[in-house]
Amino acid sequence: MKGRVVIVGGGVAGMQTALSLKALGIESLILEQSRQLGGKLTGWHLLFPTFTPAQDVVAPLIRAVRQSGIQTRFGCKVVSVDSRRVILDSGERIDAAAVVLCSGSTLFNAKIKEEYGYGIYDNVFTSADIEQMMNNGKVAMADGRTPERIAILHCVGSRDEKVCQRHCSKVCCITAVKQAIELKKLFPDADVFNFYMDMRMFGPGYEELYRRAQIEHNIHFVRGRISEASPLMDSRVQIKAEDTLTGRPLRMSVDMLVLMVGMRANDDNAFISSSSGAELAENGFFKPRNSFMDNVLSTKEGIFLVGTISSPKTVGQTLNEASAAAIRIAEYLRYGN
Amino acid sequence: MATNFGFSISKPRVIDMDANNLRKSDDILASMPQLQSCIGCGACTASCTAGNLTSFNFRKVHTLVRRGEYTGVYEELNKCMLCGKCRLLCPRGINTRAAVMTIKRTLGDF
Amino acid sequence: MFYAHFCIPFIVGAVIMLLTLLYRYISWVVELPKGDKRLIAKGIFSTATLRSVWEIIRESLLHISIFRVNPLLGYMHCSLAFGWFLLIAVGWIETTVYMGAELVPLQGHVFFRYFATQIDTHIPIFDHIMDALLLFVLSGVALAWFKRLRSKALGMRRTTKHSVGDRIALSFLWFIFPARLVAESVTAAVYGGGGFLTAAVGGALQHTLSAGALEAIYEPVWWFYSAVLGGFFIAMPHSRYMHIFTEIPLIFLRNYRLRVTQSSTSYDNFQLQSCSRCGICIDACQLQSELGHNGVQSVYFLRDRRANRLTMPVAFDCLMCGKCQERCPVGIDLNALRLNSRATMRNLPNERRYGYFKGVDRSEGSGKVGYFAGCMTLLTPHTLTAMQTIFDAAGEEVWWADRNGGVCCGRPLRLSGETDSANKMVEYNIELFRRHGITTLVTSCPICLKTFREDYNLEGIELLHHSQYIERLIEQGRISLKHADNQSFTYHDPCELGRGSGIYEPPRSVIKAIGTLIEPKHHHRNSLCCGSSLANTIINDAEQLKISAALTLELEATGATTLVTACPLCKKALGRTTAQKIKDLSEIVASNLN
Repeated sequence: MKGRVVIVGGGVAGMQTALSLKALGIESLILEQSRQLGGKLTGWHLLFPTFTPAQDVVAPLIRAVRQSGIQTRFGCKVVSVDSRRVILDSGERIDAAAVVLCSGSTLFNAKIKEEYGYGIYDNVFTSADIEQMMNNGKVAMADGRTPERIAILHCVGSRDEKVCQRHCSKVCCITAVKQAIELKKLFPDADVFNFYMDMRMFGPGYEELYRRAQIEHNIHFVRGRISEASPLMDSRVQIKAEDTLTGRPLRMSVDMLVLMVGMRANDDNAFISSSSGAELAENGFFKPRNSFMDNVLSTKEGIFLVGTISSPKTVGQTLNEASAAAIRIAEYLRYGN
Repeated sequence: MATNFGFSISKPRVIDMDANNLRKSDDILASMPQLQSCIGCGACTASCTAGNLTSFNFRKVHTLVRRGEYTGVYEELNKCMLCGKCRLLCPRGINTRAAVMTIKRTLGDF
Repeated sequence: MFYAHFCIPFIVGAVIMLLTLLYRYISWVVELPKGDKRLIAKGIFSTATLRSVWEIIRESLLHISIFRVNPLLGYMHCSLAFGWFLLIAVGWIETTVYMGAELVPLQGHVFFRYFATQIDTHIPIFDHIMDALLLFVLSGVALAWFKRLRSKALGMRRTTKHSVGDRIALSFLWFIFPARLVAESVTAAVYGGGGFLTAAVGGALQHTLSAGALEAIYEPVWWFYSAVLGGFFIAMPHSRYMHIFTEIPLIFLRNYRLRVTQSSTSYDNFQLQSCSRCGICIDACQLQSELGHNGVQSVYFLRDRRANRLTMPVAFDCLMCGKCQERCPVGIDLNALRLNSRATMRNLPNERRYGYFKGVDRSEGSGKVGYFAGCMTLLTPHTLTAMQTIFDAAGEEVWWADRNGGVCCGRPLRLSGETDSANKMVEYNIELFRRHGITTLVTSCPICLKTFREDYNLEGIELLHHSQYIERLIEQGRISLKHADNQSFTYHDPCELGRGSGIYEPPRSVIKAIGTLIEPKHHHRNSLCCGSSLANTIINDAEQLKISAALTLELEATGATTLVTACPLCKKALGRTTAQKIKDLSEIVASNLN
């Protein structure tokens, strides 16, 4: 067996995979594209459904990776992968005993849905912007005013043929409920309206949180997709939707419009797939070998999948997959596939 | 009556799926299976140029058609200007303009 | 002296064809609307007639337009049409020279070689000229055979499929000139004479066949030649070859300003029957090249309509991008014909419809310049805000017709055949524009622009696409733009703006005022369609995406940093398939104002 297990991506998926491997006595190397560990979660404030600070998950993982002496390299852009080696954009070839793809997914670029006015009107934000503002300790309208009416739109860049993203991003519904509650806590006098198509409360405690949002926080849920947003004189935004439960068009002026951006497959997936032979699903995410028994295995021997590289999922599910993958990798290294 | 189409709250009408004849609805769906994929988000109706000026609601009309409720549908659909905004917005990629035309053609002046 | 029994099939065929054609043309002219008849009366003694004759020589005989698109195909058509014409014309001269003023019946001209054996004089130069012409035509026939076998050899991806009538006529046509060659060669073999071709073939026949055999086949070969001619003449009016003669009255009528209108008239017959089924429209069609939709292109649409078996899936599976019309060598008004077919199928007028327009006025602002965003532009708010910025910069007072929603321009309904409903929208909008007293109307939507120009009577109101308006602001010095050579743009011509309205240069001059313009592979008249056209209600979302992806590929291949277009629909379509910046013309102007 030549080389170590190479982990592509240093987010929570990559870190937990390295740690679980370490616990089994297997050495690994994390290749991270940016300059720091933690991935997307570092930009997040609180995690659903328990309002746990994202830092409470990320920081201990980073600490553990450092303490256990797992080797990490930063600024590494992977251009080619197969089950025996990884090639970086510098041309460097790194031998691998196995490769774990932990490079996650990409947040949908809300500017593509021009009709919502993101990047045109000042008071249109994405869910990621809201998390960032929460982390910075200042949530407000663009001019610093306190919002009195906030609309949150679900399914932006998910379940939408028009942007070629058919899949459900899974976590946006519960994120929208979480952010609605957070915003309501910050601005108790504000009215918060969630515009949803379907409420997909699939996880433990999610439905309960939805119910609390309705009853305790008095958050309004409107069933309908916002079709367009237009600017008003005072930098507020007018939105149009159909209130499908009453069957009538609805028009509303809001101080903030928050777009729940979905997860889409990384653009890189295409060439990682073509170089490695690990297949992609129709939606561009990596395809697990088997949805029941082999979720963390790619269709190519020696290449493993952890986290949102294979489909949108929650932090908890990602961490579970990391541990599961470590065991499958250990089996692979000992017995072959 | 076309004038209070679908909005007669005072006169609740049961959609009687035992009595309704779905044959025409089936014909429409056979020629346009994509109409089945509607998730009822209402984006079509929200942006509707005609719906902005009158009580036209495409989502509701085509849903009623799929339940076998055809009365008044033809003239209701003649409020549509076929401008095509809804087609640009439909998250399911339904060819809404063709749906309007197909339903009109199939139902005729029902 | 100019009669033999073998002439009977030819004479019968020629008479039947003549009667059929006359009956058809006369009845079509009789059925024309009164206005069209007046136009003919006015045009017939004008220069239009002379222009028509010249056009007939250029197009019906020489086929210059086809030459331009495809030289080999042009040669094929030219050799058949012009070659045949010369055979007849020179043949006529030949008989006249031989016989002087004596009246020679039709068959005498056509079968002159047969009858010439009874004349003592002999002018060999005519033999050679006629042989050269025959060779010219035969080369065209050979090309036509070759085209049937492999269409790609003539630079065509696909060739047309034939109907039964076509096949019968085609079989006759293919045999006419080889039969003539054989008949004249056998004559040369038996009686001597003949030009370089027939004498040579005749000589070869003399070597291979006995004198008795030659004698025995002499009459039958002339019978055969006469029979294929007669057969072709009878089949012709029921086949694609009807176009040979119909193009001639069409050219006259077109020059007398007759047009295809929104409801079908008998003038359409001249258009329908002038299609030569050359198939150039098939290669132009993106539905064919990108989606593999066959049997819907203009040539098939015309075929179905001629045969009265036009179906909705054919009539409505068309982007009306106008590429085929742009290339049609006969200049058939393909989009207008398709539109009035759709109207025939779907226009069900009802006076009570759209009563809800009454009293509606959502416009705002006041000014002599009106701005009509169009329904689609409301979904590309970047364009709206950019236009606002530009109007402000130019200090223009603007009346906003439909920023808060308005009534559609009517073109989508017209494209779907509902002409009467569309006219309700026309009435409403004209009244709205008049009421607010505007003198200029600017729109960002080429679809609206086209219908404003063609279907609205807006005398006194100047109609401008925003690209024209912006160009004018720059020329007048009312706005000035930052120019940087390192900003590179590529421009996509929207169908309705370019081919539809002939506006190609204004957007380009605006772009050049800002940065460098790189043209994609297909541009101006040949630009591709984005696939989102409202005219097509058959193709589904995935198919629209495919067409758009092909266009995106071409635009991205220019290496330009920004893709620019001037139509909200095109912008939306391209935005789905490109990861690059895609902007409306107004946006790049607004962000580069000084």
